[in-house]
Amino acid sequence: MRKLGTSIIKEIIILIRDKAGLAIIFIMPMILIFVMALIQDSTFRKMDETSLSVLFIDEDCDSVGLAIAQGLVRSEMIVLEKTYKGKILDRETLIRLVTEGKFQIGIIVPPDATEKLKIKAEYLIDKAFEDEEFPVAESKINPSTIILYFDPVIKQSFRETMRISLGKLTYGIESKMVFDLFSQKVSELLELESKLLYDPSGILRLEERSAGNKHTEIIPNSVQHNVPAWAVFAMFFILIPLTGNIIKERQSGSMLRIRLMPGSYWITILAKILVYLLISMIQFTLMLMVGIFILPLFGLPLLDLGKHFFALFVMVVATGLAATGYGLALGAIANTHEQAASFGSVSVIILAALGGIWVPVFAMPEMMQKFSLVSPLNWGLEGFYAIFLRGSGLIDILPWAGLLTAFCMISMAVAFYFLRLKKN
Amino acid sequence: MQEKIAIQIDHISKTYKGSTQAALDDISLEIPSRARFGLLGPNGAGKTTSINILCGLLNYNKGSISIKGMKLEKKYKKIRRMIGLVPQDIALYDTLTARENLRFIGEMYGLKGKELKNRIEEYLEMVGLAHTGHKQIRNYSGGMKKRINLVAGILHQPEILILDEPTAGVDVQSRNMILQFLHEMNEKGTTIIYTSHYLEEAEGLCSSIAIIDYGKVIIQGETKEIIGSKKEYTNLESVFLHLTGRKLRD
Repeated sequence: MRKLGTSIIKEIIILIRDKAGLAIIFIMPMILIFVMALIQDSTFRKMDETSLSVLFIDEDCDSVGLAIAQGLVRSEMIVLEKTYKGKILDRETLIRLVTEGKFQIGIIVPPDATEKLKIKAEYLIDKAFEDEEFPVAESKINPSTIILYFDPVIKQSFRETMRISLGKLTYGIESKMVFDLFSQKVSELLELESKLLYDPSGILRLEERSAGNKHTEIIPNSVQHNVPAWAVFAMFFILIPLTGNIIKERQSGSMLRIRLMPGSYWITILAKILVYLLISMIQFTLMLMVGIFILPLFGLPLLDLGKHFFALFVMVVATGLAATGYGLALGAIANTHEQAASFGSVSVIILAALGGIWVPVFAMPEMMQKFSLVSPLNWGLEGFYAIFLRGSGLIDILPWAGLLTAFCMISMAVAFYFLRLKKN
Repeated sequence: MQEKIAIQIDHISKTYKGSTQAALDDISLEIPSRARFGLLGPNGAGKTTSINILCGLLNYNKGSISIKGMKLEKKYKKIRRMIGLVPQDIALYDTLTARENLRFIGEMYGLKGKELKNRIEEYLEMVGLAHTGHKQIRNYSGGMKKRINLVAGILHQPEILILDEPTAGVDVQSRNMILQFLHEMNEKGTTIIYTSHYLEEAEGLCSSIAIIDYGKVIIQGETKEIIGSKKEYTNLESVFLHLTGRKLRD
């Protein structure tokens, strides 16, 4: 125990004096969490919580143009820009500005849109009340086209959302106009004094509910998603200082001296595992603190840790063990720090991509979803999501913690094999 | 009872994995207790391989080794404690201070408390580094590093001290101090096994030598006897060049 304590103290002193290593271990992950949570916040928010400047030309200058403009502004997702640098927008300028990427969306409501809609609506009503003796002539009015210009960098999902929102608006305008004419016609036919009342709110409504543990009060939001995801990613980057430590020790000859001391070699390795496990736990705690204390200062929701602290502790230890084991294996296999650092960081990025850190696993192609199951970062992510988003407890996260621990054991076995191999 | 033979090497062979050439080929050596023994040879002769095998850092394929009457493969844990190694490269943590390095090494050898502290200070004083013991190793000069590397190898007071080119690349003062220190240790009873390319230095220090080349022992015995054995041998360097040739080695 005394030797283990001595080795742990030695590792801690070496770490403390390695300023660049400390920055990688503690400061970089906190910056990563902060930046990624802020950047990704908008993608997790509902569409109507973000605002976007949209160029808008109303050539109709009547009910349709007015209703679309009002509808978009009312949604609070959009700020309509009808002028540019003090001048009324024209089609040419609108297309140019969107092409240059200065604005992401441009909408043009064509002239006579209201007039054409009225004619079409009247035709439909007349057709509905058509007298067989006096058939209504076929309408020859061409449909009016509202044009949307998109900056090519806009994501397909955002385009779809915009198209659906605009389609919903135009459909509402059409419906209201047809209903008003219908109501007018019915009133005329029945000689009523009042018209039928149009209620756009509808009878069928939507309500959003979280499918998590029924006892949980956790509200899913960007911080609940982002903090655990990027924390798992950052924890695996502990392999950079760890592999550096192992390789430097080997190259400097310090490992040779340790191997000369009776019974010291495995104690030194165990000390490394314990110190780096402790560091990964401190790392995770710091990242949680960013979610609790820093992110709310920038308008993001407060991170809710839930109620299952022991389950959280088990997941942190299991993830830390997996990251440390992986670092130990790489440190044992690689011959130079350059090899370990470049392979290590690229492999963590690949495992993170596979594991659903950037793109959720459910949104991946079917084949990639199968690959995601072999990524330890996915196991970590699923375990933390279970706690942070579903309100799950210890029993629910045990399979993920078990997989991570098994990964750690396999990594360590690989590390010991290569360390022995290099001895001979 | 004091063993007369410190190290007995019998027919040791070693071939590294992936290599077809033997690094050591049926080597046998006998090193008496309290000797100052020079293990000499050109680059790639097998000196470092021999040292690593003696220290239990490397396995060997054939033969047997006894240290102080104990078989290395059976009692290697006990034997390791009896051996001190001063490797050619500085085997220390460069971001730890000299005292921190020595404290770590001492505690790993089971030393503790006042005994360890006193011993660290005593050795630092002896090698003239007491006043810079608080500095990190990376701030030391080459000579200072070699001196502290020497202390790290003897801190646990080994009965056998193996030194792999301890004076390579150091200034005259440091070299002089190291050699004097080795004489003193030997007088106190430590068996010294020494490798160096400085043959004049080896001639002055070593009471007996062995020259190895291509993994084989080509001569061994008392230094003075070997030099006096032939007319053309004027000093150790002439013996060395006569036996190993003038062909450059990789």
